[in-house]
Amino acid sequence: MSFYVIQTIMGILGSIGFSILFGVTDRKLLWISLGSGAGWVVYLVCVAGGYGMFVGLFAASLFVAVVSEVLARILKTPVILMLVPMLIPEIPGGDLYYTMYYLVQRQYVEFGNSSNQVLVEAGAIALGIILASYVAKFIRSFRLHMPGMFQRGKKEGIAGN
Amino acid sequence: MDWERDGSRYLSSIMDIGELLLVHGAEVNRVEDTISRLCGAYGFVRSDVFTITSSIVASAMAPDGTTITQTRRIKDRDTDLGKVELVNGLSRRICENPVSAEMIQEEIRAIRDMKSISEGMKLGMYMLISSSLSVFFGGSWLDGLAAAVSGMVLYGMLRQSAAMKLNGIVQTMMCSAVTALAVSLLVRLGIGTHPDKIMIGNIMLVIPGIQLTNSLRDMINGDMISGLLNMSEALLKAVSVAMGFAVILLVGGGG
Repeated sequence: MSFYVIQTIMGILGSIGFSILFGVTDRKLLWISLGSGAGWVVYLVCVAGGYGMFVGLFAASLFVAVVSEVLARILKTPVILMLVPMLIPEIPGGDLYYTMYYLVQRQYVEFGNSSNQVLVEAGAIALGIILASYVAKFIRSFRLHMPGMFQRGKKEGIAGN
Repeated sequence: MDWERDGSRYLSSIMDIGELLLVHGAEVNRVEDTISRLCGAYGFVRSDVFTITSSIVASAMAPDGTTITQTRRIKDRDTDLGKVELVNGLSRRICENPVSAEMIQEEIRAIRDMKSISEGMKLGMYMLISSSLSVFFGGSWLDGLAAAVSGMVLYGMLRQSAAMKLNGIVQTMMCSAVTALAVSLLVRLGIGTHPDKIMIGNIMLVIPGIQLTNSLRDMINGDMISGLLNMSEALLKAVSVAMGFAVILLVGGGG
């Protein structure tokens, strides 16, 4: 248990490091660190619940992507600025390393397994991000074309045409 | 407006905005969207934008039928999301209230000249990222310390080789070789016990994990060419990191 707490904290530190490296240095750091920690907790809960790595990474990245879509609208900033740093704990760096390691050591069976693993993990993450961004787009176009169903937003003029 | 004369000036400023976005790590989608929105804001009746990670092509048609096409080639990219945010804000403001081409140029210059974070801060972040991620992937505290030291070496190497203007692949290979050497020396000296965990912490800084994920996202999104470009770049980079490490692993036998 205590390892997972340390791991989450370290993941948050990594996210903070990358966001500063990528030029994000203001109050958004707080949101990024909260989101990245919560994302990793989602992953840990999924894995502890027996859903496996793919579902865990998918759920975690979906969660992180939804959080960053929402935060980006609230803080009026590009989604990518919140998303990339928040996603650092999910990035399959470890498996990418072992893939290269096995390749160099000429252990081709392990190499095949772990390169497969990396692609599946990256795919799960990408799927989560895509799903969140399409839901966001869907809600936006829904609002645009059926303004009566939601509160009238800024774009009501366009919807009238 | 005299489209023959002014049209290309405006389009050029719009392209500058797109170029800034792409160079500093915005998605291909966003670049295309921003350019066509800005073209609309300046009164072009039609705009066709095609962007991949290494180039932008945009054609804009003025109300009088004049068509202007401009291209930008993007060679070096340097992720700075803070600048992406600034440029994004600028383009939003312009869309609401189109200003003159000179004013756009002035604002672009201000963003371009803005200092990114200092070298010392960058070094600190390299150390922080390597040590925290090496513990994250299961290393001990001592491994974290070793990762911070080798992260420092990595940063020094990256800076040095960037100054020498080496080819990207060679640069990555050299940097990872020297980093792996530093790690195996540190482990021999008794600082750190798991060389693999230490190296994973360092590798997260050079390895294109973010790029790989982005490339898959681009492809699922329908931007096939950008996705393939990014993916092959990421894979090639991963292989060059592996080759750099391989030299040390084969010679030293550690790892």
